[in-house]
Amino acid sequence: MSLVIIVVLILGWRITWLATRVDRANARAERTWAALDAALVRRAQRALELVLLPGIDPATALLVSDAAAAALEPNLSRRDREQAESDLSHVLDAVVPTLSASTNKLDPERARASICRRLHNDAVATALSLRRRHTVRILRLAGRAAAPRTFEMADGPELGWLRER
Amino acid sequence: MTEQRRSLRVGIVCPYSFDVPGGVQNHVLGLARYLHQAGHQPSVLAPGELDPAGATLNVEDFSSAGAAMPVRYNGSVARVNFGPLSAARVGRWLRKGQFDLLHIHEPITPSISLLALWAAEQPVVTTFHTATPRSRSMQLAGGVLSAAIEKIDAGIAVSESARNVVVQHLGRDAVVIPNGIQFDAFAGHAAAATPERSSHPKLIFLGRLDEPRKGLDVLLAAGPLIMESHPHLEVIVAGQGHRPVPPWCRSLGMISEEQKIALLGASDVFVAPHLERESFGIVLLEAMSSGVPIVASELPSFLDLLGPAQAEGRLGELFVAGDHRDLARAVRQVLEQPNPLRTARAQQAARGYDWSSVGTAVLAVYRAALSAAPRNFAAKGAG
Repeated sequence: MSLVIIVVLILGWRITWLATRVDRANARAERTWAALDAALVRRAQRALELVLLPGIDPATALLVSDAAAAALEPNLSRRDREQAESDLSHVLDAVVPTLSASTNKLDPERARASICRRLHNDAVATALSLRRRHTVRILRLAGRAAAPRTFEMADGPELGWLRER
Repeated sequence: MTEQRRSLRVGIVCPYSFDVPGGVQNHVLGLARYLHQAGHQPSVLAPGELDPAGATLNVEDFSSAGAAMPVRYNGSVARVNFGPLSAARVGRWLRKGQFDLLHIHEPITPSISLLALWAAEQPVVTTFHTATPRSRSMQLAGGVLSAAIEKIDAGIAVSESARNVVVQHLGRDAVVIPNGIQFDAFAGHAAAATPERSSHPKLIFLGRLDEPRKGLDVLLAAGPLIMESHPHLEVIVAGQGHRPVPPWCRSLGMISEEQKIALLGASDVFVAPHLERESFGIVLLEAMSSGVPIVASELPSFLDLLGPAQAEGRLGELFVAGDHRDLARAVRQVLEQPNPLRTARAQQAARGYDWSSVGTAVLAVYRAALSAAPRNFAAKGAG
């Protein structure tokens, strides 16, 4: 009888512990998404500031503002957002080398966005691998929240800009 | 957006004892110094004692985790801490420090690093230094270890090869940020020494003498072959450990940082004959900064620093790891056909690893980790 109680206690403890881990992983996936979202918005805002640079040609200004505005569009679907952010990366890849003084403000924001994306996708991978466990699935330890998704986009240099200074 | 100016209390955990020199220890000291100069408040926890004479760290910024136990580990002798006493010390340090962020080095080792990761409540950044797979022990250690790994908020790997191990064996990702060096200290000394290069060329090896994986045996086997065509070659080895060397080789034992800088500046060829598992190769970078021509074995981490094996653009002469004949060929090549342009390019490349760049990258990861931290910690990194 006491053996049964011990087994039940151990099982209960293990399940609670696993539930804590699932919870923590989900929370981290959410927080890293919020951080990535903020970093991407800031990147687009900084890109828009390029347009205000003295002496910028109108074609460059239009190209950058189009791409940045598309990325800042509210209520984009996940897929459209990924596309818009990738497009902005490509535009910045093409435009930034032609401007010299301006890049100092933009490069750290691009690096930040890129690091944030890595942290987010890493957090999502952890959360998903916990969700795939039998115990988690059968006992529905992940609750009713939708499974988190990685954010897939082309991002520019992560930390490469540091080397080229 | 003035977040860059906010001062962070950063708790840095180094698993290896400060009683002995080592790559990770040096990296931690360099990082602490950089953070201090950048206006932050680093506090280092490590086994052993800080040597106040040679240290670049304030004594009050250092806490000892006690004496460490020597254990043969990962092909080297590592001095590690474990057990309840160490865990209690780690807990006290964490409570006293009130850190905004923890930066734990080599977290998956049986050491205060793992204990700190286990106990951490604040955001955790970790740096993975070695490229050693440990999947078997990972499986055996099971859930406890997985749960600890899940607590990491941001991973840093010192090279692509170290990152691959993190991805494949821990199932996590990491930003690649190389180890930092004090570029100016090494480069500054080089110019003065250049005219000396003469008919008595100096070959230098730095690293533990008694660890087979550092490859000194390969160099000593190659020595006679090189001396057939360069009878006046001076072979100098410096590093910890006892090991008999042939009469034509001068062994200096352990040398100070200043001696190392002077020695590199006065050498004609630097040889890195490592056999395996060198995760980064900081001495290689220091030699590159000094403007010494490089001969190195074809290890993945060395290729990361020197460029691809086949390309014309590589920054040093490579040889097949463990092959003393090929090593002799590479050294003769460097001595007989000096390539000052390549050496200059190598020096230029090494500049990118100066703490001024590497430290900025580490701070960028801190800010990203803090921006995704729970609210009570995120305040510090937000902006």
